[in-house]
Amino acid sequence: MKELLMRPQYLMNRSGQKIAIRAKDRGHTLMLFFAGVIILSILSFCCLGVNWGRLASRSPQILEVFWKLGHISLDQADLVFVSLFETISIAVLSLLYSLLLGIVFGMFAARNVFGIPALSVFVQSFFSFLRAVPTPIWVLLMLVCIGIGPEAGVAGLCVHTTAFFTKSFAQSFEEIPDETLEAIEATGAGKVIVFMNAVLPAAFSQIVAWCGMRLEVNFSECAILGMVGAGGIGFVIANSIQGYDFGTAGLAILLVFLTAFLIERMFIAVKRIFK
Amino acid sequence: MRTRILLVPKKTRRMYTAFIAVIIALFVISTLSTDFDAFTLIGKSNAIWQFISEDFIPPKLPSESKVYDIFEGVLVTLALAMSSTTLAAILAFFTALFGSEQVSPYPFAARFVRSFATFLRNIPTLVWAFILFSSLGIGTGVGFAALLITSYAFMCRAFIETMEDVSDDCCESLMAVGASFPQRVFQAIVPSCVIGFISWYLYCLEVNIRASTIVGMVGGGGIGLVLFSYIKTFQYGISCSIIMVIAVMVIAVDQITGAIRRELSK
Repeated sequence: MKELLMRPQYLMNRSGQKIAIRAKDRGHTLMLFFAGVIILSILSFCCLGVNWGRLASRSPQILEVFWKLGHISLDQADLVFVSLFETISIAVLSLLYSLLLGIVFGMFAARNVFGIPALSVFVQSFFSFLRAVPTPIWVLLMLVCIGIGPEAGVAGLCVHTTAFFTKSFAQSFEEIPDETLEAIEATGAGKVIVFMNAVLPAAFSQIVAWCGMRLEVNFSECAILGMVGAGGIGFVIANSIQGYDFGTAGLAILLVFLTAFLIERMFIAVKRIFK
Repeated sequence: MRTRILLVPKKTRRMYTAFIAVIIALFVISTLSTDFDAFTLIGKSNAIWQFISEDFIPPKLPSESKVYDIFEGVLVTLALAMSSTTLAAILAFFTALFGSEQVSPYPFAARFVRSFATFLRNIPTLVWAFILFSSLGIGTGVGFAALLITSYAFMCRAFIETMEDVSDDCCESLMAVGASFPQRVFQAIVPSCVIGFISWYLYCLEVNIRASTIVGMVGGGGIGLVLFSYIKTFQYGISCSIIMVIAVMVIAVDQITGAIRRELSK
């Protein structure tokens, strides 16, 4: 007891000083983290070697570009709408194909469905490699392989989306308690039947949530793809900005914004229903 | 008399049916509109396989002076992501204070702050990059600005949500004892939300590492630009090794941020 009282913090309290409200260690780690972030960021700023003054002096031109983009022209409205529709379709198609593939691969990646640890480790590490490479790179490679067309876009998007779904579905599948699986297995059901009747229904609401989230991402990725060479609305935006046709670009950007906004709102509404 | 006992409640069943119907409808509409044919893809799988086995693998290394370019590219990409995310986080923190109705000293302005952030957020990063390139010219600084805008807008939303989840009661009780706005911020919001803020910051950093690679491809500099120039000139072996480098970079950053998250949530 005496030893305990001799500890510095107790001594301090007796002498009428402040009692620390926060846990000491946590504050320490946080400070370390902030210091690290600040040092790294300053180093990065130096490393970029950008002429900030020149950039700032040119910034009024941004307003000018926005002014030009604001004068929406409807001359090529049909082209813009067709390519927007194509972009949305590619986003949806890649989502659906990856949903299917993601469920299948998620089954292999989840540790509790087949119960072969080596298989799930292999599948998971393979897909984390695929996930680490950004989508436009996959699309570029697909363009090289199979030429221009919706196939390249869908296939390229599918690579990344499938990898994402595999990881998140596997996580959802693993959350299902072993008792449930065991109970159905005890009736003599095979692995696939257990999966269809226990695992999939239990993970259903999470799958819907992941899909909604991914649709948002896929749409904005898909709008980007045109800029690296695939078709769709991105191509229209890049092309018309480079050709100083700001009216058409303005219309296309506005439509991209509205679509992304609508998808986000829809997703929030769907989430509310499921809760 | 034998009636089947339903295994699934009627309501859930109806939901499943609706979900599947929506999926099939979407599938049919989008397949028709793009003329996408999965079988063409399967038919072309030969070409894909040939490309992978002949051009893509084995990964090749460029000449020695070019290897240095690759490492410089990686460094620039990392620096772009790091600096833009940090600056965006600082700006977003102050903006978010005004965007949350419970915290802001001017609650009526909160809605405007949010709609501003929504506007910035829903335009993809690369579209921002193109708008900025056309006004400021090509360069690393412009890539930085494009990343800054989207990550700023994203973190505004995330920070506002974190504040509203956590500090409703805290803020109200401090308000009741007459605390001023800065006092409320530093005594209630910062201590209770700081972990949430950091985890969003780290998430944004992960996203920005990928995004800065892509922004680089269209003219922002960094590893993306190096990769794009090799793909354009059909040097796929070298592209393969750069893709590996990118994957290693992204995975390493993910591991580090994961470790920091675990350390801070202790």
